Amino acid sequence: MGMTMLGKGRKAISMILDEGSFVEGKIDEYTLPDIGPGAVIGTGSLKGRKIAVIANDAMVRNPRFPVVYSGVIGMEEAYKMATTVYKMIELDKDKPQGEKRPLVLIVDTPGNGPGKVEELFGMNKATGAYQLSLAEARQHGHPIVAMIIGRAISGAFLCHGLQADHILSLSEEFQTMIHVMPLAGIARITKRDIESLTELSKTNPVFASGAGFFYKLGGLEELVNSVDDMKDTIDRHITEIYKCNAEGNSEKCRPSPFPSPSVLKYTPLLPWQTHHTYDV
Amino acid sequence: MRKWEEMQERSFYESTARERAINLVDKGTFTELLAPIDKMTSPHLPILGEAVSFDDGVVTGVGKIGKRPVFVISQEGRFIGGAVGEVHGAKMVATFRLAQQSYEKIKEKYPNDYESRIPAVVISFETGGVRLHEANAGLLAHAEVMEQIQHCRGKIPVIGLVGSKVGCFGGMGFVVVATDMVIMSDRGRIGLTGPEVIEEAMGKKEFDASDKSLIYRITGGKHKYIMRDAAYLVKDTIGDFHKQVAEALKMSYDEVQSHRCIGSLKLVEEQLELVKIAAENNFKDATDVWAYFGNKKSDQIQDQFYDEFIREAKRRPRR
Repeated sequence: MGMTMLGKGRKAISMILDEGSFVEGKIDEYTLPDIGPGAVIGTGSLKGRKIAVIANDAMVRNPRFPVVYSGVIGMEEAYKMATTVYKMIELDKDKPQGEKRPLVLIVDTPGNGPGKVEELFGMNKATGAYQLSLAEARQHGHPIVAMIIGRAISGAFLCHGLQADHILSLSEEFQTMIHVMPLAGIARITKRDIESLTELSKTNPVFASGAGFFYKLGGLEELVNSVDDMKDTIDRHITEIYKCNAEGNSEKCRPSPFPSPSVLKYTPLLPWQTHHTYDV
Repeated sequence: MRKWEEMQERSFYESTARERAINLVDKGTFTELLAPIDKMTSPHLPILGEAVSFDDGVVTGVGKIGKRPVFVISQEGRFIGGAVGEVHGAKMVATFRLAQQSYEKIKEKYPNDYESRIPAVVISFETGGVRLHEANAGLLAHAEVMEQIQHCRGKIPVIGLVGSKVGCFGGMGFVVVATDMVIMSDRGRIGLTGPEVIEEAMGKKEFDASDKSLIYRITGGKHKYIMRDAAYLVKDTIGDFHKQVAEALKMSYDEVQSHRCIGSLKLVEEQLELVKIAAENNFKDATDVWAYFGNKKSDQIQDQFYDEFIREAKRRPRR
């Protein structure tokens, strides 16, 4: 194929949103703080539906934080993202369920800001804040769809992606990357040779890297095989999420697939929960 | 096993996850759930030829402090650095769910008097984050735990304790700051990115990963206390942590919440002001930040004993 969307967050926005509908830096009348240039945020419409979009721009550097470039989510970026989500909740608070605007996350990020000042001031708080805001938005009934177009790596994926109701990804032909650590790194840590790990990962997707394995594990709702299909697929998933929210079927819209088929054998602490009655 | 009274004097830093779990709640009240006898072990480690642990590196259970059920999650750093795998994560999530069920039951049983009885969740962190042997499942577990914390909002206080050997790093660095209240000892450490990764990103001149003292200053309890990422700093005994948790449970829910550092637009705006300070000043070390917040003898803070530090420390002003 050769086609890739790596580093093309802005292009993805224009492909996914209705032509000319994207308004950057604003959520209705509210103007977002002019910080964190790597976080491209705004509103627009997707097949006529009003949405907010949060994407990574891998082509810019943050002039104030030198480790923040190439789609890295730094402190400014993360708090700007969190601010967006809280503003959406606030602006839509009087709207009934089913009319809370969806959030579309376009994911292409290699990590959180790996710097000294980031650790000093709490990088963990910044992207932690973003995760909590997304979890709260879901509680209020805002459908959240994450669309992986490039890199979805470890802690950054945890923040920008894994709190979504549904996670979609372009297939591996588009050079998408989903992992905590590449297999070579895992080989080093687990002291196994990479060949046998590669072989093992075919039957056990739990430590493998890549969209296909993550899909097998149940972490992705759907693999998208053509960039032209992104728009329709996202739209379809938004409709599905509205539907399962309306049915009160929140389990089906969980941010992660617990209990997914592979997990099911080990996670049903439910029998344990029901048998155990704590004397209140 | 040593008596509860003796264990109160014991170093929190040196204690195992089970010792912490049993002795953080009132004497004789702890019941372990999914104990080693249940042998719920990682299905993934044997495939890689690794040994399993019968509790998968986390002790979960319930005890009481006063009238209140306290659901405890206690991570064991001696097993793969306390890293979170599938079973470990599932035990954490299930404990949160159980606490929420308990909350509903108590509300039903004591409609007029439930506030003094509502459960709490206490997490004693000792972890490096995702367990790489089962990385994808570990990552998903982190997302689940984060969601559970959000589900507890407005109902159940969630308290994070950090004072163990491994500290609290990686993805669990997000989780700890998402709790309502963080209690640390001087020896506790919280961070996100590992020192080696920072050195690689910044260069050895800007950040030397082998400078353990620098790393301790940046991630340690004193810094987190000054920054208010940690609400309380206590001495390094199980008893001191226990007492501080008991104090927290005497507070109203709103008062506990007032110690949050993230979780609302207002708090995000407050943190953004801090980021602005970070951008405008060229801080090279934690000591520069301590001086910025008014600590005149910032170069001596690292060596100060507990009482002197608590007496003299100037903390970041709240908005």
